[in-house]
Formats: sequence, C-alpha cells, structure tokens
Amino acid sequence: MKYNWKIGGEAGFGIMTSGLTVSKIATRSGYHIFDYAEYPSLIRGGHNTYEVAFSYEEIHSPLTQVDLLVCLNKETYEFHKHRLVRESRVIYDPEMLEVTEDVIKIPVPFTKIKKDEQIQQQMLNSVAVAASISLLGADLSVLEQMIHEQFDRKGEDVVKFNLHLAGIGYEHITSSGAQKLEVLKHRPETPTKLVMTGNEMFSLASIPADCRHYASYPMTPASSVLGILAAWQYKAGIVVRHPEDEISVINSALGSAFAGVRSAVGTSGGGFALMVEALSYAGVAEIPVVVFLSMRPGPATGLPTWTEQGDLLFAVHAGHGEFPKVVLTPGDVDEMAELTLVAYDLADIYQIPVIITSDKFLSESHKDVDKAWIDQLFASHTPNRGKIVHDTEQSPYLRYKLSEDGISEMLIPGKEGVFYQANSYEHIEDSHTTEDAIVRKQQVDKREKKVETYLKNHFKMPKIYGDLDSADIVFISWGTNKGPILEAQKTLNGSHKTAYIHFTYVYPLPEKEIQELFDRCKGKRIILIENNAHGQFGRLLRMLTGITIEEKVLKYDGRPFFPEELVQHVLSEHVHQSEGHLSTQEDVMAKLAERID
Amino acid sequence: MTNVSFDAYTPTWCPGCGDWGIRVGIKTALTQMGLDPSKVLLSFDIGCSGNMNDFLNGYAMHGLHGRALATAIGMKVANHDMTAIVIGGDGGLYGEGGNHFLHACRGNHDITVIVHDNMVYGLTTGQVAPTAEEGFVSKSTPHGIIETPVNPLALAITQGATYVAQGFAGDARLIIELIKGAVAHKGFSLVNILQPCVTFNKINTYQYYLQKTYKLDESYDPTNKQQAIQKSLEVTEERFPLGLLYKTERKCYHEHMTQLDKPLVHKDRFTDYSSFVEEFI
Repeated sequence: MKYNWKIGGEAGFGIMTSGLTVSKIATRSGYHIFDYAEYPSLIRGGHNTYEVAFSYEEIHSPLTQVDLLVCLNKETYEFHKHRLVRESRVIYDPEMLEVTEDVIKIPVPFTKIKKDEQIQQQMLNSVAVAASISLLGADLSVLEQMIHEQFDRKGEDVVKFNLHLAGIGYEHITSSGAQKLEVLKHRPETPTKLVMTGNEMFSLASIPADCRHYASYPMTPASSVLGILAAWQYKAGIVVRHPEDEISVINSALGSAFAGVRSAVGTSGGGFALMVEALSYAGVAEIPVVVFLSMRPGPATGLPTWTEQGDLLFAVHAGHGEFPKVVLTPGDVDEMAELTLVAYDLADIYQIPVIITSDKFLSESHKDVDKAWIDQLFASHTPNRGKIVHDTEQSPYLRYKLSEDGISEMLIPGKEGVFYQANSYEHIEDSHTTEDAIVRKQQVDKREKKVETYLKNHFKMPKIYGDLDSADIVFISWGTNKGPILEAQKTLNGSHKTAYIHFTYVYPLPEKEIQELFDRCKGKRIILIENNAHGQFGRLLRMLTGITIEEKVLKYDGRPFFPEELVQHVLSEHVHQSEGHLSTQEDVMAKLAERID
Repeated sequence: MTNVSFDAYTPTWCPGCGDWGIRVGIKTALTQMGLDPSKVLLSFDIGCSGNMNDFLNGYAMHGLHGRALATAIGMKVANHDMTAIVIGGDGGLYGEGGNHFLHACRGNHDITVIVHDNMVYGLTTGQVAPTAEEGFVSKSTPHGIIETPVNPLALAITQGATYVAQGFAGDARLIIELIKGAVAHKGFSLVNILQPCVTFNKINTYQYYLQKTYKLDESYDPTNKQQAIQKSLEVTEERFPLGLLYKTERKCYHEHMTQLDKPLVHKDRFTDYSSFVEEFI
C-alpha cells in the first residue's frame, strides 16, 4: 500500500504546517512517510503545495499519482489535476471551484466554515487536515494530541478552539456519508518514529558529533540549520553565530577550529562561492572545518526554493591551489545522520575541510526515521579527533612535522612554553613562512599523503542496491537521487533486473577499486542519473577513473526526480542514448500517460 | 612565566619603516602585562604589517587578506580566557575587511585591533589605501584617488567600539601605553597607529606627522562620546590627535553568551541531547 496526500493553497495559508501535521499523524499511526513541499521565493501569495506519501513499507521519494488532493484554492486543482486518477479523491469547496475530472468528489464548505466560525484562513488548515484524516481512517485522537502539543502553552481557549475546528472537519466527512478508507488506520505496531528533514538531521547529528561553533549566513535551502542550532545553543553550551557575510562565517569558523573547537558552517552555492578562499586557507594551514552545502539551482541567485545537484564539481574543485579535501553526499535523512558524524571526524583526523552536501530536496523533505536506531547511532558515537591534542611532548613544537601518513600533531593553543602559527603562506615544519623549493615540495607531498591515508583508512565504496552480478540494468548516481531510484527499482523489479550503485563518498575516489567495480558491470546497460545538466558526477568519474558512462538521465528543471520518470526512461524503446535529457516532469508524465493509454 | 620570548625572526621591513617601532611597542606592552607567547591568540592580516607573523611569537593565525578580524572573533569564541590581538594594515582592516571591521565594532568582541595606518599598500608596492587623502597619487591612482578617506576613528566610535585610540609609529612610549590600555580593556579596542611608509608614501612622512599630530592633554575626557567624535573628525583638517579618544564600558560579546560559563574549548562534551531528538517525534 502506498498512498499520496497533497494539499495546496496560497503562500501564507499555513500549508507547511498542515503538511507536517499529516506526516506526523501518519508516523504516529504506524506508517512510513516521505513528504515534499514546493513553494516560490515569496512570503505571501504564490502557490504552495505539500505532499505526503505514506506506506506500510519504507518510502524514499514523492509519488506522481495523487490519491487525495486537498484544494484550498482553485489553482491547486488546476495545477495538479493531471496527477489524479479515477480512484483519486478531491477535497474542495464547491463555492471555490468545480471538479471537472472523473474522480471521487468530497465537497467541504471551507468558505462557509470560515464565515460561520469567523476564523482566519490559516485556521482552515485544522479543518482540512481533520477532514483528510477522517476520510483516510486515522483516529481523531492522534490529531487532538498534536493540537495539545502545539497549543497547550498558548492556553486552554486556543486548544479548545483548535479541537473544535478539527471536530468540524472530522465530523463533516463522517456525516456527509463519504466512503471512508482505512489507509491511515492506526496500526498496532508503531515503533517511535522521528519525522525529519536533511537539515534537521544535520543539525541534530552535529550535537553528538560535538560541534561547538556553528556559523552561518542565511541562504535557502540551508537556513533552517542556523535557526535550529541557534535555539539549542544555550542548552547545548555551544556557540551559534550569524555573522555579517559568508566570508566572516568561514574565517571565524577557522579561528575557532584553530583554537580547538569543532566548527562548522552552512550555506548554499552563492554563499559557498564567497567561502572558497578560506577553504584554501584551511587546506594549507591544515585547519579542520565542516561545510554543510545545501544546493539549489544556480547560476547566481537561480531558483532559490527549488532543487538541483549543480554544485558537485564546484565543491570538489573549490579553493585555489592544490590541497586535500573530502566531499560526502548523503542520499537521505538516515545517511545524513551517519555522514554528519563521519564528516566531523574526518575533518579532525585529516585536519582538512570536509564538505557534506544536501540539496533542497533532502534539506526540506521529511522522512521517517526510526528513533531507536538514531538513539543507538548517537549513543555509540565517540568523536575521534585524530592527532588534535591538548598537550605535547614536542620541543621545539613542529606543527607541520613531516609524517608517513601526512598528518601532523595539532596542539590546541594554550599549553605553556609552546606557540605556533596556522600559516596561510607555505611554511616549514615549525610553521614559519618559507619560499624554499625543497621544503615547499615536502609540505605539498605531506598534505597530499592525507589522500592516500584517507583512501586506505576511511573511504567507503559505494553501496549497491540490488544484485549487481545478475542485474541487466545498473543505475549510477549519488546523493539524493537515491530515493527516486530505489522506488523506480521497486516498480521495475517485476520485469527487469536492476542494481543501483549509490555514491556517498564521492571525492576523492580510488581509481583501481572503482574500475574493478565497473568491470563487474561490463555488458550491462549502465545509466547515469543526475539532477543537473552537465552530468557532473559522470565527469568526475571520468576524470578520476577514466570510466565513461554514455547513457544519462539528466534533470535540471528545479524539480527532483519522480520514480516514474526513471521507470519511463528505462522502458522507453526510443531511448535517446546519451541524450536522455528530460525537459519537464509534465512532458514525461504526458509520455507515460500515452504509453499507458 | 615560561622562558619563551616574543622575539622571533629578525624583521624584513625596510629600514626606517614604522612597523619596527610598532612591533617593539606590541611586545613591550605584552611583556609588561605579564603575557608571553603561550597566552596570546594573534591574528595577522596580510601585508607588510601582517608579516610580523614571523617576527612576533604567539599562538597565531596568519590568514587571508582582510579577514584577520573574522578569524580573531572565532578564536575568541573558542577560548575567551586568552588575550586576542589582531595585527594588520589599513588596506586589510579598513578596505578588504571593512565590512568585518564595522560589525566587529558592533559586537564589542573582546579583541585588540592594532592597525598600521600608512595610507598605502606597501607589500604590493605602492597602491592607494582607503585611508589616503583625497587626490593621493599612487600606482593604482595615477590621477589621484577620487574617494574620500575612510575615517577609522569616527567609524569605530559610532559603530560600537568601546576603546578607540590613536598612536604614532614615532612614539613608542605612547604605543606601549595605548596597547596596554587596549588589551586590559574588556571589549573591542582599536589602536590606529599612524605609520610612515618610507618607501611608497612620500607625503605622510615622519616630518608630516611630527607637524600634524598632537597629544590629547590630561584634561581630555575620553568618556565624552560627542567630544571624541569631534576629535575623530579633525583628520579632515589634517590634524591627528594622539592618545585615547574614547572609552566606554559595555558588555562584550562573550559575556552575552550565557552558555560560556567557561571557555568553549574547555567545556565537557554535551551529551544530554535526548530532548532535541524528541522534538521530532
């Protein structure tokens, strides 16, 4: 069972709140969820939507078919009616719009309720959510509990009124005689689940990771991390700052990292562009820092509230000069938890910048996470600071001492009788500036040795979903395409044998091991899937390993992949090899519809 | 006290450069205050002044041009028990890093900022600096600079700095006194030091400053903000007051951070995060 609920209305209607409420009602009723919101870069007006897909099984991406569409305005119906099927239901106000498609109509008189109850538009959300869950068979008590959690601190009257509105929506469906479903019926086994976005998980995991200084300048879609950590800073005893610009952000993070505390910054492409000079400083002076880079479509201001994987090569190449760095690309909220812990450790162990990427799709979509798993993951984590120490035996102190693994001891400032500098100029072992040819080469070689050490000790090969050896079709991708690909694999399973090679440790890569992995794919149909126009991971793969993938599915309209698009690509007999550029989701859906007809 | 001294390599500055005197002023002030290289966090900008990284010992960052203030703020966030000092030039701190300067004043971070103000870019061989007089001819402004000069003292006073002083490279005794005052002061302290560049600035020479500077006398009240602003504006008439122009008491940045009961770097790892996890149920 998979079911897809979607609500739409004007920005400012409270669409986001209702969506999250439905997600949490579903998880608290024992279901897995994946939700996805679309909104323009505006505060009021414009069209906002929020969809929640839920299932008995884990669900990894939004679904194309909408089973219940809740229309708080006319546009919602007009914009999304093409995603309805005959069994779909539409909750709508007959005073507002007419439902023309052959679907199941569920009229709810929002306009009249608003007038009778003398309420603001936002409060209609309680009615709409209650009507939805009534129709879907959820217990009203789950919603009532959430209303208490949300409004108890605002006083009894507010709680009572919201319960009253929920009652109106819930009862309206019951008394209307509409046929109720059981798709959200409370399930007996409901392990505690968290409902989290990628940004929320990066924030949360940064706490057990012992991040003590987070600096950020707001930029969609990374901004929410700043707000979350800022709110926690007093209890957690950490410092969260919003400096004057991204240049100050990263340089202050390098300052605190030098002075001994784990430090991170967060931004999107434009802000990251301002940070890259300092990234290079972190490289030469060997200062650990974690960069949370949540991508959105560029160039320049681009499409601020939409998604794209357009900054992979920028991240890989960020910073002038040559220095080691690590780029990690979690594919979902679970991997965000794991890789956030890893990112802070790697930054310290190798004394390098570590970039952990997200994108609007992961940063702002909620997925359910098993709470027991998270508790265990965090409880079992002990930060590894590598050679960062509070004390030293060395005298004189050699901050950049040559070593077999490329990593030198980094003393946290404060020990008496010792001093050194984090020098952005090339330097000798004791950190003083040099222009000596031999020393220069030694220090470059020392820094580069970290790559070798990392590939040996900490690099992880991509995960493989499906049986690679028996598969006929192999998907290659990275980061957040994971969800749509896993869902597409489920659909294709009946007719095709597929495997998915999912990269999360994307840079650097070990040439030989990756070549050996691709040797196992010989003779198979290999498809590169990326949410960008250049096929950037494909280029990276070619650059680092010589492997070329001809068949590509590239999407760059600001929207994430829908699994059905990938299925469509695989099924299409006229696949325009290597030119599989999808123009818009609508085109693909139209093609898919033709095929089904 | 440890046996380490502030003296590092012999400076490579031009003979007669004001930087020599400033360096002596800094290390003398710090030594007289009982500090040693293991007790100070130094943040050097890039330029002739920033090259002091190799001539003055300390736990130091020699970072990027214009960003010394930003790195110092981070250092102080991590360890507010250590003395933090920024050393840089007018180009880095008022030009490339002008935005950081403005906001660091607002934050009243407990940092001492020592600016070598010579109105010219020395290390890149003689382009104009943002403090240069209108019309100043340089390699980058062969017809004279069009912009009016930055007024660092007025800027600092009006943007929230709580200790604003001006020294002259030719008066080491005054520099020592002003730096000691700045380091002892809790809050954002600016010591702007007028410094002749003997190689690239033939206008603002020792002779020029000897004529145009004057010391604030003992009757001057640095707590009077209006008067301090008046004094800071005298630069437009080519008059340069020397001494402590302005001083006030205001809670500094880290004192607002109630979570910093001790320096961030010395705190125990926070593990009581279960309530954060529960927010997402």
